[in-house]
Amino acid sequence: MSAAFESLSALRSEVLDRLRDGEADWIGRLRDEAMTSFEEQGFPTRHLEDWKSTNLAPLEAISFERVGTPEQNPVVVTGDGVPELRFVDGRLDSANTQAENLPAGVRLASFAEVRRQAPELLEGRLAGLASPKRNAMVALQTAFLDDGAVLTIDAGVEVDTPIKLCFSTSGDATSPASAAFPRLLVVAGERSRGTISIECEATAPGLTAMVAEFYLAAGARFESVQIQDEYAGRVHFTSTHARLERGASFDSLVYSLSPGLIRSELEIELAEPGAETRMRGFYLGRGDGHVDHFTTVDHAAESCTSDEEYRGVLGDRANGVFRGRVIVRPDAQKTDAHQSNPNLLISEHAGVDSKPQLEIYADDVRASHGSTTGQLDPDALFFLRARGIDARAARLLLTRAFAHKIVDCIENERLRASTSTRVDLALATLDSDVPSGVGGSSG
Amino acid sequence: MSENALIEIRNLHAMAGDTPILNGIDLELHAGEVHAIMGPNGSGKSTLSNVLVGKPGYEVTEGEVRFRGQDLLEMDPEIRAREGVFLAFQYPVEIPGVSNSHFLRSAVNAVREHRGEEDLDAIDFLSLLREKMKLVEMPEDMMSRAVNEGFSGGEKKRNEILQMLLLDPGFCILDETDSGLDIDALRIVANGVNQMRSPDRAMLVITHYQRLLEYIVPDHVHVLSGGRIVRSGGKDLALELEEKGYGWITDADAAQPPRTPKADSNAASAGS
Repeated sequence: MSAAFESLSALRSEVLDRLRDGEADWIGRLRDEAMTSFEEQGFPTRHLEDWKSTNLAPLEAISFERVGTPEQNPVVVTGDGVPELRFVDGRLDSANTQAENLPAGVRLASFAEVRRQAPELLEGRLAGLASPKRNAMVALQTAFLDDGAVLTIDAGVEVDTPIKLCFSTSGDATSPASAAFPRLLVVAGERSRGTISIECEATAPGLTAMVAEFYLAAGARFESVQIQDEYAGRVHFTSTHARLERGASFDSLVYSLSPGLIRSELEIELAEPGAETRMRGFYLGRGDGHVDHFTTVDHAAESCTSDEEYRGVLGDRANGVFRGRVIVRPDAQKTDAHQSNPNLLISEHAGVDSKPQLEIYADDVRASHGSTTGQLDPDALFFLRARGIDARAARLLLTRAFAHKIVDCIENERLRASTSTRVDLALATLDSDVPSGVGGSSG
Repeated sequence: MSENALIEIRNLHAMAGDTPILNGIDLELHAGEVHAIMGPNGSGKSTLSNVLVGKPGYEVTEGEVRFRGQDLLEMDPEIRAREGVFLAFQYPVEIPGVSNSHFLRSAVNAVREHRGEEDLDAIDFLSLLREKMKLVEMPEDMMSRAVNEGFSGGEKKRNEILQMLLLDPGFCILDETDSGLDIDALRIVANGVNQMRSPDRAMLVITHYQRLLEYIVPDHVHVLSGGRIVRSGGKDLALELEEKGYGWITDADAAQPPRTPKADSNAASAGS
């Protein structure tokens, strides 16, 4: 039994009474069943097909000393009128939260509050998409169900300002290992519109395991922007699930910028005709980082569209993994499914493992996929240098151009600007001495 | 060699991979002069320009190049550019995702910084850019587009001349700038180049055809063959070549094999 398993089991027993206090029985049962399911499965190993390319040994070796205990460290909020929930160690930091400025028909509340005071909002939805039985990490997350956020938007309501969720940790690199298990549930009513931004920026070692479920009713349009920008010693797990009804539209944009171990799962079910999704991802591998994007889009009905593009930049000794599973069910005629995964290797010690996986059971389908792995164009690099731009700046300019294709497509202008800044900050830390296609002078 | 030559190329030998291409080039340009280099395909014209700007893939095996008295071949490509050596490329590359105006401003400021001048802010840069764009009749929307992406052949060449105008180099090399241009584009490009003629600047115009030299009239014309300059003369030499072709010079030259650092079997098949 691993250090992580033992320490988490012990910590769970300690906090269980607090978690159960005042909540509906069925939630407690869900949590316990998930724990049983996790105990049966254990941490995923590379023997499992879905985990072939990612080794969780660094996670298993962690001895956790704390789980989801909020500390009263003040968190500075840059109040710019955007509704914002701030979480520390996975629990709501109510002193630094502002959930006002929301239009009528929009509710944003902490998960801990909802599971005690309005559990009916969760019923039939919580764990409806993210199954503990199929996924051990989801089981672990569900076994610690505590806090997070619940967002509901009534039919026909459109929210222009993005709703921000920020997840940080107390402590720093020297702090004992802690685990946070934030949970998100978003329910968008018919023809509603909304945007959410989810930022994870842990500064302490340990684990952030987040599970998010999005339910989009007919005609709903939703954009989700996730930023994973945590300290190198933090393991990050995210499992995002969405179910789209007739004509709904879901844009998922994920930016993995942490130099640590990341497993980011996305599973989208196009459940009814005319649903469409845009899946965008950018991952930057730095240091000894390992970023695994595991995506699935399930075309379960006819005339749905999926458009997926994940781009990776891998430097230093970092490793990238992309798995893009596209399922087109027998009834899903007139499906339009596109996928691409270009990767840029900017260090000879970096690597990438890209695996498109198309399972098409219908016959009237337009589907395409492409995966490329390359280096910076030596001719373009030389061209820039021949105009006076130094080699490092030229590499950065080209790398930035490659990455920003995934930033420019954020629909919400405010989020596009803030994400652009964040991606640029991460890119600027790339090793400046990495060899590239261009050598020195010919002299 | 005279003391005030802007650029001195002495006994320059260079290889592309294992193939010797340049077999002893001697050339000097003074400030204020425009020289043309003509020659048949494979004579080493593009190799010469690439070696001068430090493009990877070439090895200089013998000889030297001095620019304003400094050893040019020792410098990284970006330093050569900042010192004032500029090549207008025969085939400018497309750079998706990098806007032309952003690229141009980065380049201008890199050169200015090297000269100890202040960076241009966005507004000052824009007014400089507008002024130079007029000279090459470039529409404004080409600035917001990615560098050379989707540009026509003529637009790419005009973009090269625009870069030259902005960077204000002391030594300009134009590599087959006329190739692929219709007569209007040729006139615009030549006009941009002629704007740059000045007593402080030297230009090397590399071309296969005499046509360009009707617009950019050179002071000296050199014929390159087998990696060496086999004849030099005034602007009339270009007309003579136009009339008689290259055969009468290169045939005479063929009697005398090019000098190579190692007289190996590749020498005869040298090409660029």
